Amino acid sequence: MRSLFAILAAKTAFRINRLTGTGGTSLPGMVAQKIDKDILKKLVKNNFPRGVIVVTGTNGKTTTTKLIADILEANGISYVYNRTGSNMERGLITSVALESNIVGKVSAEVGLFEVDEAYLPRVCRAIQPNVILVSNLFRDQLDRFGELDKIARSFRNLIEELDSTQLVLNADDPLVASLGYELENEKKVTYFGVGDYSGPKLQHDRTADSIFDPFTQEKLYYTQHYFSHLGKYRGKSGAFRRPKPDYQANNLKQNGIESIQFNINSASNLVELKIPGIFNVYNAMGAFAAVKASLNLEDDQITKAIAGSAAAFGRSEVLNYNGREALILLIKNPTGLNQIIQTYLLTEKDRLLVFIVNDNYADGRDISWLWDSALEDLVHYKGKILVGGSRADDMALRLKYAGKVDVLAESNEAELLKLILKHSSKRSKLFILPTYTAMLSIRSQIVAGDELQKEYWQ
Amino acid sequence: MKPIKIVHLYPERMSIYGDYGNIIALRQRMSWRGIKNSVENIEVGSKIPPDADLIFIGGGQDKGQVIVSEDLALKAEQIKQFVESGGPLLAVCGGYQLLGEYFISNDYGQLNGIGLFNVVSKATNDRMIGNIVVQSDRFGKLIGFENHSGSTEYIGRAQPLGRVVKGFGNNPTDKLEGIIYKNAIGTYLHGSFLPKNPKVCDWLIAKAIAKSGQSVKLKPLGDSLEKRARNSSLGRP
Repeated sequence: MRSLFAILAAKTAFRINRLTGTGGTSLPGMVAQKIDKDILKKLVKNNFPRGVIVVTGTNGKTTTTKLIADILEANGISYVYNRTGSNMERGLITSVALESNIVGKVSAEVGLFEVDEAYLPRVCRAIQPNVILVSNLFRDQLDRFGELDKIARSFRNLIEELDSTQLVLNADDPLVASLGYELENEKKVTYFGVGDYSGPKLQHDRTADSIFDPFTQEKLYYTQHYFSHLGKYRGKSGAFRRPKPDYQANNLKQNGIESIQFNINSASNLVELKIPGIFNVYNAMGAFAAVKASLNLEDDQITKAIAGSAAAFGRSEVLNYNGREALILLIKNPTGLNQIIQTYLLTEKDRLLVFIVNDNYADGRDISWLWDSALEDLVHYKGKILVGGSRADDMALRLKYAGKVDVLAESNEAELLKLILKHSSKRSKLFILPTYTAMLSIRSQIVAGDELQKEYWQ
Repeated sequence: MKPIKIVHLYPERMSIYGDYGNIIALRQRMSWRGIKNSVENIEVGSKIPPDADLIFIGGGQDKGQVIVSEDLALKAEQIKQFVESGGPLLAVCGGYQLLGEYFISNDYGQLNGIGLFNVVSKATNDRMIGNIVVQSDRFGKLIGFENHSGSTEYIGRAQPLGRVVKGFGNNPTDKLEGIIYKNAIGTYLHGSFLPKNPKVCDWLIAKAIAKSGQSVKLKPLGDSLEKRARNSSLGRP
C-alpha cells in the first residue's frame, strides 16, 4: 500500500515538474523515497526477467550505459534506463517509477542503470543486480568521493556480500582488476581489456595512481602503458598480474576525430566506433562484455549495434552554434581531460578552444586537479584559447604556467558566448570543454539558440 | 650559473591532490627569470642527492603513506640536516603530517614521522574540506583548498604559518594553520598552493638559490593573472 502511494507521488511530482518546466530527475524519486524508504528495492524486485545491469567507475559511465542501451534497442530487448545520467539512488527510483504501473509492475525485460561510485554499495544492496560492470577508478572529485583505495574497499565489501552477482571488470586497471581476485564466494568474473595501442601519447601524464600491487604494495611492472595506470602489468613477487581478458580489443586504428576501428578477439570481429579515442574503446569493450555476460547475443548482433551508436549527452556531442560546429567535451578530472587532449586536441590543432571551469558542488569544489592535467602538451597548439566559468581566472593561470599566453578569460557566460562568436567565423569548428554544471548550462544555451534559428528559417 | 635542483619526494605515492602545480610553479618562476633548474624524482628506496637545493613532498592516500613513513625514517637525518643548514622545503598535507612526530591513521595505526616539525596528527572521522584563506605575518593572505581528515596540533615550540580567516587549517578548533621552521613550510593548502601564492613561491626560490651558494636578485614578475585568480578565489564559497 505504501509503495503504491510512493509510485503515485513520484509520477505526480514528475508531471508537476514538467508543467513548471523545472525538469529535475531526482525530485520524484526523493518524494517516493520519503513515503517508502524501500521503494527502490520493491520497484526492482519482481521486475526485469532478463536481469539488471549496473555500470559504475570513474569515467565513461554515461557513454557505456548508452552503448548498452543501444545494443538492447537494436536487438529488440526492452529496457528501463536512467538516461539523463541521474545516477544516485533517487534518479534510479525516478527512472523505474515513471515506467511502472500503479502496482509497481514494469513491462521492460532489462533494468540498466549507471550508478555513482559513492552510491554503488547502497544501491546494489537494494537491487541485487545480476551484473556489475566496473570500468575504471581514477582520482576524481576527491572532495566528494575520498581516496581511490577507500572506494575500492567499499566495492570489495559489497562484492563479498552479493551472492548471485556477476562481475565485469577492466583487466587493464590494476585496482579494478584486483576486485575479482581472491574472492571468498564463487563468482563469475568477466574481464575486458585492450591488447595494444600505438596512437598519440601524452608527454605529461601525471595521473597514474594505482601502479602498485594492491596485495604487496610493490611497484607493478608494465610491459605496455596506455594512459594513466591502464596497461599490461604484472606484480614483482606476488601472484597478482593483469588477468587475461575474456574480450580484448586489438589493432586499434584511429580515423582522425571521427571514429576508431578495432577488432574483438579475432580479426574478423571488426568494430567501427563513431566516438574516437582509446577511452571510448574501453567503454565499448565494457558494454560488449557486460552484454555477453548477461544476455544470449551473438558477437555481430552486438558489434553492429555499437557501430550504430552515437555520442551521449555532452560527451563528444556535436552541436551547431550560429553556424559553427561545436564539439562538446565534458571534463571532470585529470584523466578524462588528458584523454580529451590526447584524442582531440593533439589531432586537430587549429580549432578555437573553449574551457569552462565551474566549481559548484556537482563539479567538485576543488580545482587543484587542473594542475595534474597534461595541459603542457598544448604547447604546439596554435589557436587562441578562451576560458570561462566561475574559475575562469584559475584556468587562465593554469594555462599561463603551461606556457600558453594567447588566452582570454571571461567568467560571465553571456559575454563568453559573444567572445566565441567574435573569435570564430561561420564554418569554424570549436572544441568546448566544460565541467559538469558548465556543460548543462552552455549546452542548453546553444541548443535553445539553434532551435530559434531553425524556427526562423522554417 | 649552476642549475637549481628541486627534489620531488615520492611523486608516485604522494601526489594525488594536484600538487604537481607546486613543482610547475617553482620551475616556471625560475625559468621566466632565466634561472636554470631541474627536478629529481626520489621514490621509495632511492637516495636524496647531496646537492639538492629545495625539497618538496605532497599528499597521498593513507595506504601509500604507510610505505612512505617507513622509507622516510631512512632519510630523516639527511632531511633534518638539509633544513638545519637553511635548505628550503615545502610539505603539503600528507607530507606535512609525516614530517611531524607521528600520524595516527584510521586504518593503519600509528605512522612515525621524522620529527622535523613540532606537530602530531591524528585521523578523525570528519574530513575538513573546502576553500581556505589564511593570514600570514610573513606572506600576507594565503589562498588554497584543503581536504584532510587528519587533525594536527603543535607540541612544544612552533611557529604557525598563519591564522585561519576562512576554513579549518590544522584542526577544527585552533584557527591556526601550518608551520614554519627555519626555511621549511608545512601546510594543508592545495589549490595548487604555490601558483596562487607567488610570494611563498619566490621566497622558496630565493632560499634555494642561497642554498646553492649563488646569489641572484629575483626580478619581480607581472603576476597580474595570479592576482586575478586570487581575487576571484576569495569570492568562492
